[in-house]
Amino acid sequence: MSTIDPRIHQVLDGELAADAVPSELRRAVVQLAAAAGLLAAPPASPAASLESRVMAEIRRPVPSRAHRLMRWLVTPRAIILRVRPAWSVAFAVVVAALTLFTADDGGPELAEHEGIAQFVGQFPEAQSVHVVGTFNDWRPGSIALEDHDHDGVWRATVVLPAGTYEYMFVVDGERWVPDHLAERLVADNFGRENSVVIVRPVRR
Amino acid sequence: MRRWVVLALAASPALPLAGQSVRGRLEGRIPSAAIPAVDSLIQFASQDGLPTEPLIQKALEGGAKHVAEPRIVAAVELSLGQLRDARDLLIRAGDQPPVLPAEMTTVAWALRRGLPTPLVERVAAALGRPPRAAAMHAVADLVAHRFDPDSAVGLIIEAVHDGVPRERLLDVSTAVLQQVQRGHTRAEALAMVQRQLPNLPAPAKPPRGNVAGARRPASPVPP
Repeated sequence: MSTIDPRIHQVLDGELAADAVPSELRRAVVQLAAAAGLLAAPPASPAASLESRVMAEIRRPVPSRAHRLMRWLVTPRAIILRVRPAWSVAFAVVVAALTLFTADDGGPELAEHEGIAQFVGQFPEAQSVHVVGTFNDWRPGSIALEDHDHDGVWRATVVLPAGTYEYMFVVDGERWVPDHLAERLVADNFGRENSVVIVRPVRR
Repeated sequence: MRRWVVLALAASPALPLAGQSVRGRLEGRIPSAAIPAVDSLIQFASQDGLPTEPLIQKALEGGAKHVAEPRIVAAVELSLGQLRDARDLLIRAGDQPPVLPAEMTTVAWALRRGLPTPLVERVAAALGRPPRAAAMHAVADLVAHRFDPDSAVGLIIEAVHDGVPRERLLDVSTAVLQQVQRGHTRAEALAMVQRQLPNLPAPAKPPRGNVAGARRPASPVPP
């Protein structure tokens, strides 16, 4: 706890002239004298202004509900948000996952009677593979399978009306091969067998 | 004899030329020498109340496979006979003429998949009304996997009687085959699925990635 030099007390009490104290104390004397002056001053009378403000508030017409709502909405308010980092990270992960799995992936919009047929064949030496069948009038070249990673496995996914279709693969434009992965085969009436795919509607 | 029938049909001026659009689909796709005979067979099928699209598809298939003209005509003729047999079978099973084209196609499919005629007729009669495609394929799937034909038919008919929707009958055969893959005998698999009826595991949906990457053929043909 700091103590005030007794000479300052004497100056403030009028017992000692201000210029009688050393110069390093004069600044403190001036500051303390100003503070004492503020304390000694009579308090400002707020009564009149307070009363008038209260009465003005009372006389003001009550704002409508909509007006109050609007004022509540547009009045800036401070929001205190306490964040736990662990929960915040978990929340962000959930939001990201939901966004990823529910976003429109650009796939075709399937009608009620349509389904998906996936054709897969292993042709390691092939330069091209197409699937032809009753879904494309046996027109070679209209549906190409793709082998993006060059592992010899060719794939195509096709939207078709629900139903039963016969098909074969055409390798390199000339070799007709049944789908060895197909579970169903049917005589083609030309002495060989076609593969059969049953397309079921996706929306049931 | 069949060849003479085809030639007679091709030469017959009495048949209307209602199949111009059929000819349009065939021209350039099959040997031109085969078109008159194939077209006649298709018109004959149309007049007889038989479905024509399977015959057109058979001709186009032969053309795409570079099959010689006589074999294309023979295959179309054979397909016509199979459709006629299918119609007769359905009428014997209780269908009233005119028999629905889709049902004839379904039964012809079942016969081509190797199901015995009495078995197909039994399924058709037991189901009573269309559609029967899923039931026929379910039975054919089980028979193709060396299940006892009578037991396979019995299971599918029981599933229908237990209230399994027609379009879900393929899930019955799939469930049986899954039990076999898990190591059960065929008889055990049939019995297990039979006990579960009418409850069936949900059919597998195509993965989202597959749907996203799916394409539509340029001009899909109705099945």
